[in-house]
Amino acid sequence: MWVFIVRSLDASMIFTFAGLGELINQRSGVLNVGIEGIMLFGGTLGFLTAQATGSYLLGFLVAIGVGGLLGLLHGFVSITLGVDQVVSGMGIWILGFGLTTYIGSPHAGPLGLDRIPTILGISPFFFLGLVLVVITWFVLSKTNMGLKVRSVGENPGVAEVSGISVDKTRYLCVVLGGMLMGLSGGIYSLVYNPVWSYNFLMGWGFIALALVFFSMWNPIILLAGSVLFGTLWQLSLNPQLVLPGVMSRYIWRTVPFVITLGTLVLMSTKWFRTRWGAARPEALGQPYVKE
Amino acid sequence: MKIGRNEFKMEKRATLSGWEAARISILAIIFALTLLSLLFILADVNPLIAYREIFSYAFFNPFGLPLTINRSIFLLLCTFAFIIPYKAGLWNIGMTGQLFAGSICAFAVVVALGGKEFSASPSPWLLIPLMLIAVILGGGALGAIAGFLKGRFNVNEIVTTMMLNFITFWLISFLIKEGGPFMKSGGEGQSFELPKSIFAPLIKGVPFTIIIAIGLAVLIYYLFAKTKIGYEIKAYGLSPAAARYAGIRISMIPLLAFILGGAIAGLAGYHYFAAVPGLYKIPKNYGEFGDLAFYGIICGLISQGNPLAAIPVALLFGGMSAGGRFVQGQLHMNFGVDYALLGVLMISLVAFQFFYRYKFERTQTNPDKERIDVGVHR
Repeated sequence: MWVFIVRSLDASMIFTFAGLGELINQRSGVLNVGIEGIMLFGGTLGFLTAQATGSYLLGFLVAIGVGGLLGLLHGFVSITLGVDQVVSGMGIWILGFGLTTYIGSPHAGPLGLDRIPTILGISPFFFLGLVLVVITWFVLSKTNMGLKVRSVGENPGVAEVSGISVDKTRYLCVVLGGMLMGLSGGIYSLVYNPVWSYNFLMGWGFIALALVFFSMWNPIILLAGSVLFGTLWQLSLNPQLVLPGVMSRYIWRTVPFVITLGTLVLMSTKWFRTRWGAARPEALGQPYVKE
Repeated sequence: MKIGRNEFKMEKRATLSGWEAARISILAIIFALTLLSLLFILADVNPLIAYREIFSYAFFNPFGLPLTINRSIFLLLCTFAFIIPYKAGLWNIGMTGQLFAGSICAFAVVVALGGKEFSASPSPWLLIPLMLIAVILGGGALGAIAGFLKGRFNVNEIVTTMMLNFITFWLISFLIKEGGPFMKSGGEGQSFELPKSIFAPLIKGVPFTIIIAIGLAVLIYYLFAKTKIGYEIKAYGLSPAAARYAGIRISMIPLLAFILGGAIAGLAGYHYFAAVPGLYKIPKNYGEFGDLAFYGIICGLISQGNPLAAIPVALLFGGMSAGGRFVQGQLHMNFGVDYALLGVLMISLVAFQFFYRYKFERTQTNPDKERIDVGVHR
């Protein structure tokens, strides 16, 4: 049972990092639907680097770096060029999906390094995730910087007039968010499941995207949601731990997706939106053009 | 921005003519191919040879050409599945799931009518139309879920369709593996083969689905050019609020667009799993067929939602992906050349979206004339 809990926490931190990156993005008004692509890139390149050099540190640095670069790309296309954010995000996802399949396939297989040391079986990244969640929450809701980010996400026109550079703030958030997503992919391929296979994520990024909608853009709720979905995902992989012999294991694999769908619907009902709907950043998804 | 005597100015386009769009699209494809040649160079392959091999295999090789045509029909159907919701401003990235759902229904019909038995030879006149109806209903139903949730509750359709993709992906695994109802006797992780009597009819070696695909191109063109429903979908795509003031029932539009898109994606599933010669089953690597559907997004974007323009685009990409598969074996490259092509095309297209909205105006300034002008003004 302890192993199951530990694995669930491992899984949930992947959602936490990716979701946190997306949350920072969205708080500044930029929607990035390419999380899965950035995670695939971070995961694959981090995996290859760690395998080639034997160093976990380098692997993680590469994962973070490539995530930041892809964030910058998303920023350039959607902020500077003003292309629709969904188009750009989709582009990054398919780029990641396509290129990593080509780059990684000769290295398909296990990583072949010793596992990273753990604390009572829990990966140190879980604690890093906790710290980052608290920091993000504090910065976003208690500091001047956070106020800037939020105002850019709510009403960029007003923010610009009051002396905040919308583009700079958004770039900062997009790059930071990309780095977190890249790291999250690295954690998947170096810690959670250090075996490269084609399209290894199978929907983690998209669930992380949905989690941000669930969290009502609050890092603390995001953490709770991540733990819930991490556990759920782990359960769907090992249903025999709780309900042995009930339903085929393939049917269990659909459960996280079904629950995500159900939750999304619940959150989109009028009943829910009139109570908690105001949390959505007002300018989310809209490119800002200085007039 | 000034370069020499030329002054470049960026301007927002008010309109985009078909020819301009075509020109930009061709530039985007050339740009992507240039980027991709880097990949070949990194793999120690001369890109010119690689491209020559790709195109000669795809379009002039007796083994490659049927592959190209089959892939192109599939891509074309996936493109239409993307285009119809796209005209309504919605992103259908659930072609994969919809084609899986359609195939599940079609194979279920075969199982229900006893076609799974080894000696069965059901009547094609009964079963082929039934299978076609089943794929349309199955794909349409899955599309309807996303469309309904978008129209009624405004749920983000990207997340919904993606979740449905994964759900149907695992459902197929359940059906064809480990004793699932579609499993081939003896296992091997693939579905039973369709009985010979209901193989889809061929026209000179090409499945009859080619007629469906081309017919749909004309129909969809007509739908958006002439009909009220097409107009309403386009109006919703431009501005849902304005469409509502114009008296359009806006909760119905996403539902309708997704049902149409899903049904067409279902036909794409029928094409690959029940009509392409040599397959006639849901193979072990069915996920790769699902991935191929994402080319539909690219074709749809490049053809700017024009179903007739999508035909040559689908033919080109069908050929390139088939040829990409071929050269990867021929030139000893990594698996996934066609995947890499998919990714590079997509990102180049995204960057070129900019040119669909802006243009560069070049004005030449003549130094002599300028001097005179200055004199006059002062």
